[in-house]
Amino acid sequence: MTIDSRTIHHIAGLAELAVTDAEAKALAGQLERIVGLVAQLERVEIPSGVGAFVAGPAAATLRDDVVAPVPLNRTPEMLTTGFQRGFYLVPKLGSQEPAE
Amino acid sequence: MTWETIIGLEVHVQLKTRSKMFCGCSASFGDPPNTNVCPTCLALPGALPVPNAEAIRLATLAALALNCTVHERSVFARKNYFYPDLPKGYQISQFDKPLATKGWVEIDTAERGRLRIGVTRLHVEEDSGKSVHDRFPGKTAIDLNRAGVPLAEIVSEPDLRSPAEARAYLVALKQILVFAGVSACSMEEGSLRVDGNLSIHRPGTPFGTKTEVKNLNSFANVERALELELARQTEVLDADGTVDQVTMLYHAGSDSMRVMRSKEESHDYRYFPDPDLPPLVLARTWIEARREELPELPDQKRQRLISSYGIPAYDAGVLIGEPLLADYFEAVVAAGADAKQASNWVMGDVIAAWNDTAALEVSAPRLVALIALLAANTVSHASARKIFAEMRTSGETPEVLAERLGLKQVADTGALEKWVDEVLAANPSEVARYKGGESKLIGFFVGQVMKKSGGKADPKAVQPVLIGKLT
Amino acid sequence: MTAVKNISDAIRTGRTTAARSAEQVTRLLIDADKKGLNAALDWSPAYLAHEARRIDHRAEKGRLAGVPIAVKDNIATLDLPTTCASRILDGYVSPFEATVIRRLREAGAYVACKANLDEFAMGSSTEWSAFGRVQHPLDPSRVPGGSSGGSAALVAAGVTPVALGSETGGSVRQPASFCGVVGLKPTYGRVSRYGLIAFGSSLDCVSPFGEKVDDVARVLAVMSGHDPLDATTADRPPLTLDEPRRDLRGLTIGLPAEYFPADLHAGVRAALDRTIARVRELGAAVKEVSLPHTQYAVPTYYIVAPAEAAANLARFDGVRYGPRGGAANADLTQMYRDTRGRGFGPEVRRRILVGTYVLSAGYGEQYYHRAQQVRGLIARDFDAVFSAGVDLLLTPTTPTPAFKAGDKIEDPVAMYLADIFVCPSSLSGHPAVSIPVGRDEGLPIGAQLIAPPWHEARMLAAAAAIEGVVDAKREVRP
Repeated sequence: MTIDSRTIHHIAGLAELAVTDAEAKALAGQLERIVGLVAQLERVEIPSGVGAFVAGPAAATLRDDVVAPVPLNRTPEMLTTGFQRGFYLVPKLGSQEPAE
Repeated sequence: MTWETIIGLEVHVQLKTRSKMFCGCSASFGDPPNTNVCPTCLALPGALPVPNAEAIRLATLAALALNCTVHERSVFARKNYFYPDLPKGYQISQFDKPLATKGWVEIDTAERGRLRIGVTRLHVEEDSGKSVHDRFPGKTAIDLNRAGVPLAEIVSEPDLRSPAEARAYLVALKQILVFAGVSACSMEEGSLRVDGNLSIHRPGTPFGTKTEVKNLNSFANVERALELELARQTEVLDADGTVDQVTMLYHAGSDSMRVMRSKEESHDYRYFPDPDLPPLVLARTWIEARREELPELPDQKRQRLISSYGIPAYDAGVLIGEPLLADYFEAVVAAGADAKQASNWVMGDVIAAWNDTAALEVSAPRLVALIALLAANTVSHASARKIFAEMRTSGETPEVLAERLGLKQVADTGALEKWVDEVLAANPSEVARYKGGESKLIGFFVGQVMKKSGGKADPKAVQPVLIGKLT
Repeated sequence: MTAVKNISDAIRTGRTTAARSAEQVTRLLIDADKKGLNAALDWSPAYLAHEARRIDHRAEKGRLAGVPIAVKDNIATLDLPTTCASRILDGYVSPFEATVIRRLREAGAYVACKANLDEFAMGSSTEWSAFGRVQHPLDPSRVPGGSSGGSAALVAAGVTPVALGSETGGSVRQPASFCGVVGLKPTYGRVSRYGLIAFGSSLDCVSPFGEKVDDVARVLAVMSGHDPLDATTADRPPLTLDEPRRDLRGLTIGLPAEYFPADLHAGVRAALDRTIARVRELGAAVKEVSLPHTQYAVPTYYIVAPAEAAANLARFDGVRYGPRGGAANADLTQMYRDTRGRGFGPEVRRRILVGTYVLSAGYGEQYYHRAQQVRGLIARDFDAVFSAGVDLLLTPTTPTPAFKAGDKIEDPVAMYLADIFVCPSSLSGHPAVSIPVGRDEGLPIGAQLIAPPWHEARMLAAAAAIEGVVDAKREVRP
């Protein structure tokens, strides 16, 4: 398995992280080592019937359908400069361009 | 050889809860932007989701109403993608272990008769926020009131063979979900949304490449957009071209489709089980109790209305269009009205009023009283409709209203003779022609008398008086 | 008398006031700053005085009356900023409070300061803070461990008697061991994560540091218990503590062979040998056991934690909080990439990329699913040992004492392997505690006790008994 700069640029795109070409080159080497470390798991023999581990309770406890939001001690506009007249503002998107 | 059309639909319905799927914010529609928000649905650092029990109950009812198998164990998963109206950068959904699978919906089709359309799966997820593109120049504005509202996604099998069948499926699906009480299913308020998948192929050969059709805001638009896409694919393949796997957006205004620009990497959602949420475990006994809780569904109700009340199938179909109207119809009959009379009233003035105000303003016993006035010839049909209109806002009885509005039919010979005399005096030439043998002019005279009386004259009583005066 | 009990008793009985105690904490924080410890991030004398007055005016003082707590800066507090030691949260003040902070403040404790950490708790040395590295209190050239290095250093330096850290893969026990203090990781699900800024959600545990076992036990007792805001907390009552014990009679202590490799640091080995001898003297039966999947814990961790982190850190997009990147005319993608590319430091970016990679198309099954299966095998190893008559496991906490700053910063994998003895119980969710058991060339060495799930009380009683007979400040090699 090889991780090259192209792979880094691809996954950095998925993760929306700016990565320069020089960074991508260095990261490729580092990820290659890390992925080499985690690839050890390929050696582990998994007995049949071993499912995915679940941390914590085996079943979700559910919430009653009550309108009781955790209050905000500061309003949304106090948390960002990108809030105007009740809305979060972001750079213009194509009007019909959801990522889905 | 002709092309065979293959259509599958993905339908999102908002589950009728008071609060959101994973937090205690109100799920109500139409509040000022970004007012129904909290740490969880704003995805503030450190906030966590906790599932809403009522959303799970409603989704289970929906799944059972669609004849699905509801699984005792399902798993919430994170669907990862970046979009400003998706605050966490992932949507909590269900992926490889959905709440329910393998159901069906029965529909009537023009070409293939009655059919079962498969439901592949039903899963629970949260809605994203709303992007507003036209409020701020150069900016997109985000409202997160809707973010985290509970949805059920219902995916059909590719069992539909025409845009008309797709529409019939949607009508049937909506009716079932409304009857089951799980969703308002209003496309206007966004509580029902539809995406379509369509491909064409030669019968007996593998399915063709499918395209996705989006931005469909009414059932009519779903059908229309699928028709356009069908025509487009047919044209491409007839010219020996190839269909690309794209997403098409329908524009109702111009009745046209265009290819949506899609990001190159947009389909690598990197699903994995949400570590903030333990598996959703439902006891078999609890699931069965929900089955018991299901109200009568549209097909059952249609059958029962026909067999119990002897009304035509057409009437039954109209009545179940809105479960409250069907219930109202039954209440009117139970309060003493003739079934066909009741059905006529509900399908006519009652539905019109309902469409106007979404309320049933005239109680069943009061409608029965009105029907009785009509049956006793105390008022004319036209007058009864006027009285009904008045009853929507007035608490007075139909008798009192008939009196107050002067709509009681007059059968008193003295009053009728006066009107008849005036009409005959005013129309000497018609009187002469009648006397000359044109007996069909009797209708004209009755009409004139009714007009003169302002609709109050009882037409059945008018005729004998007229005939007496004319001979 | 231990520190927490001492302070709260003194304040409850009126021998001193929270105000006087807060003044002392203020002086200690100033001293620590002067020494360049760089362990405390946000604090202010005015806020300390305000909190002290609040406590002094309370009629009901509470179990932790007047106890000052340093809080790792990835735990949401209302009055002080919460930054995760990251530029991406520069200036962020949380509009809500973590459940653990609410519970501690209700019990009479107060937040003395926010503590430095590896950015987003990703690291094992507290060198990856956007606000600079934390110094080891006993040797400025060394690291205090991480990621909760600030909290560990503040307790080790005597600034606060207790501190909150968070564990994802040993981030409290490892720095506790390096700094010579007690670090306690509870059973996963024992303590609410609401308000703990998520790193690896299935691993994260708010975990206390203290001078003594009794200190962390008292803090855990107050923090623990079901939280309706965290679906992963267990539906159990808060922890009740066992009577302190003077011996370990009737207990079987297991020594897992995999935690005592041939190349174990000689000082660590000597400290453990001495501790094992004391454990025998206290009357425990000691037995060698095996946890065969131990070697896979670090690789498993470096799939699970980054995968979860990549999703958990997607919310830092500049839209709703935090500094927004990109020029005024930037498009959305530029805004995202600039915000996140500049806001996150190198280790966070690396882990986001690893996590994105192992989940990306075609790799989810190979990496993430398999890692969760191996995680199940690691948990089974523990279950097998505990169901075969072993009450507690005793191991070294770290393979070496505190290393030099800069030693491992260029080699992520070497850094990751510093957590080899703390990772397995993080993955399996078992409770564990590190206590100081000696020094080698002046550097503290920790021993770790691991217990079956929900048996913190047993584990803490045993840890206190060992603490009572081991001179933690004594050199282990003459």
